[in-house]
Amino acid sequence: MPRLIVRLLLLLAVILSVQPAWAQQDPPPRPVTDDEVNAIANKLYCPVCENITLDVCPTTACMDWRMEIRLMLEQGMSEQQIIDDFVRRFGDRVVGTPQDPTLRALSLYTPWILSGLGLLVALGLVIRWRMKRLDPAESLPPQTSSRYRDQLEQDLAG
Amino acid sequence: MLAEIGLFATFFAFLTAIYGAAVSLYGERFARSEALVLSGRNAALLTAVLLTVGVGALQIAILTQQYQIAYVWAVSNPQMPTFFRFTALWGSQAGSLLFWSFLMGLFTAICVLLNWRGQRRLMPYAVTFMLLTVAFFIGLLLFFENPFDRWWVIPSNPVEQQVVRAALMPAGALEPDPIALAQTAQGLNPLLRHFGMAIHPPMLYLGFVGFIIPFAFAMAALASGDLSTNWLKITRRWTLVAWLFLTLGLLLGGRWAYDVLGWGGYWGWDPVENAAFLPWLVGTAFLHSAMIQEKRGMLKTWNMFLIIGTFSAVIFGTFATRSGLVDSVHSFARSPIGFPMFAFWFISTIIAVYLILWRRSRGELRDENAFTSVFSRESLFVLNNVVFVALFIAVFWGSFGAPIASELFLNTDITLGQDYFMRVTPPLFAALYILMGVAPISAWGVTALSSMGRTLVIPVGLTLASLLLFFLTGTRDALALFAYGIVLLAGWVALVETVRGLQARQRVHKESPLSSLRALYTRNPRRYGGYLIHFGVTVIGLGVIGSTLFQQETQQTLSAGQSLQIGGYTLRYDALFNGQIAEDGRVMDIAQLSLIRDGQTLATLRPRRDFFPQTEGMNTMTIAAAHSTLENDFYVLLVDWNEINANAATFKVYINPLINLIWWGGIILIIGTLIAAWPREILPARVRQEMQVSGLARKGA
Repeated sequence: MPRLIVRLLLLLAVILSVQPAWAQQDPPPRPVTDDEVNAIANKLYCPVCENITLDVCPTTACMDWRMEIRLMLEQGMSEQQIIDDFVRRFGDRVVGTPQDPTLRALSLYTPWILSGLGLLVALGLVIRWRMKRLDPAESLPPQTSSRYRDQLEQDLAG
Repeated sequence: MLAEIGLFATFFAFLTAIYGAAVSLYGERFARSEALVLSGRNAALLTAVLLTVGVGALQIAILTQQYQIAYVWAVSNPQMPTFFRFTALWGSQAGSLLFWSFLMGLFTAICVLLNWRGQRRLMPYAVTFMLLTVAFFIGLLLFFENPFDRWWVIPSNPVEQQVVRAALMPAGALEPDPIALAQTAQGLNPLLRHFGMAIHPPMLYLGFVGFIIPFAFAMAALASGDLSTNWLKITRRWTLVAWLFLTLGLLLGGRWAYDVLGWGGYWGWDPVENAAFLPWLVGTAFLHSAMIQEKRGMLKTWNMFLIIGTFSAVIFGTFATRSGLVDSVHSFARSPIGFPMFAFWFISTIIAVYLILWRRSRGELRDENAFTSVFSRESLFVLNNVVFVALFIAVFWGSFGAPIASELFLNTDITLGQDYFMRVTPPLFAALYILMGVAPISAWGVTALSSMGRTLVIPVGLTLASLLLFFLTGTRDALALFAYGIVLLAGWVALVETVRGLQARQRVHKESPLSSLRALYTRNPRRYGGYLIHFGVTVIGLGVIGSTLFQQETQQTLSAGQSLQIGGYTLRYDALFNGQIAEDGRVMDIAQLSLIRDGQTLATLRPRRDFFPQTEGMNTMTIAAAHSTLENDFYVLLVDWNEINANAATFKVYINPLINLIWWGGIILIIGTLIAAWPREILPARVRQEMQVSGLARKGA
């Protein structure tokens, strides 16, 4: 009986020592479709060719990068993790809008700020027009009036 | 011989352009000499003739395979079909610059011939500015990118320096062996071997070059002090012509990208595309705001800025795309034409802005009318201009501003791509479509809101009915329905306004609908041509929304006989024919697939990959196959295949809903522009009265 207990304890020890090793084995890679790869590749720009997304770039380098995305997906990485990994290695030029918060804000808000200023100028112009009362003294003398000069030009041309 | 003819013709064109510019200005401004002014005019005509000789010499050299000319050697080879020998003229930098200069010279000559009598006071100044620009471009050709350079062999040089490139024969040089030259000739870039390349670049160049005339007239008005609306009236048609060509160039460029670049789209927000889009945006803003100056004598300074901004955008775009700026923000320093183009752009813009500010400070650009109402056509046009300028800023910032600024100031290389443009531009396009729907029914001066509301009832009703149709046919996405609604309203307003015009004419003149329509377009081509343009833009908008929001795509590897399913279609891979050799030496791998829907075979599709063995660098092209209907395009690309037994091949498939509306809308837009720009003889009132009187007298007799 004690020998049996010893054997059982030994078996338990073996099982316990083996289990972590078994648990550490990689799970079988999940099948990844081309569409999943392309969905992420479409959000990344080729680090070599300017302004071409990875999903359509025909160069060998981009084919390798697409394969890399596939392997990362097989390993269970999320879309954001893959994008972050590319940005870490190649910089913000590989994404359509920078990931860096300052650069991102600068990129996205600058045109709106400039356009807002444009709109303010236009509003100012409209308000100035509205306030303006045409002073007869300020109006243009007849000899420089556009309409008069146009008529003159037409007559000369005719 | 052809090289010498071309070189000397171009050189003399350079001299005559400089001479013409100088004597026109001196004769008009300082010497007050009619003879000198006429001499400048003749120099402009001679420049065009000489440039025609130059471009003709290069074209004949390409057609007759004169491979000693380095440009001919670089863009053609003995296997190339004759058709591509024509398009090879603009297939690379030097040839396209010569073609560009030729078109500019031609435009200048046509402008001189058409406008000399009517615009006698402005013409000498306009000729000066036009010829200065032409001279600058010819100078680029002669001193930086000479298309008439030839290959020479200098036997006395060390072996690696024996082959040299020079325009004129160096001392001790011999002509190279023509057979060896023909065998090594490179041929046209594969991407340019497409039918679209025969039309797309010339159209784009005509658009770019055409803007030189409005710019020259604006500068002439500023320099001469003749700041009436005269320059505006004469340049409006020229602007429309340039705008028409630029629009055609952009549309054809989109079609070329769709057919040749193999990514299932037509617009990638690439900096080169955007460089052509920028002048279009400013030019369109000008075409609208020019109406305010014509009708109300307002926005004089702004219009000057817009037309000069359009030309400036053309030159900047040319600089950016030809200098290599878009590949790397520092590469313009290495490119031979980068610095002179940048200098020309900078100096011409500074001079123009200085002249505007100077005339403005003298009160010569003062508005002639006061603004009367917030709800008036002029205020809506101002808003339209703000949106166009905002779009310009967004596109410029994304293409050039942010990448340059981040590299210069933050030492970081960034790309602003589709992600950025699809966030920033849609609200601005939506604002434009809303204005397109409202502005045509507003009035100059004051618009009564109640009247505007009444006019909108029918278009809004029709828009809601259309949206219901979209909903019932499966469009359930709220964003898409909102976008369709905005776009449709603009289109319905244009159509309803045209129908109202027709009905009014029919009531008064008792004409047939066709006669009334013809009368509308001939009597008021600007208004009704404009409505047709708006309708075309609506159709384009529907195509853009459909193909952007509802595009479906998949990529799958199939064995022969296997099928894939997408969007209700079945695509069966039948066979692969690899290693097919075409007439021009390209090696084609062609897949054959059957497109099936509801059990019926709709089409046999043959996407292919072309390989150009003689070409260095980019030598493979992916040519899509598409089954096109008004509903959608079923677009297939051959991505990869098993080299050994061709049993398995990978295909990328896109379904692009409504994409063909973009091309159809483009055609409508072009027809509308042609109507709006068509020349109309307007006789002075005095002559019309005389004709009426004589007509009555004849009737009385």
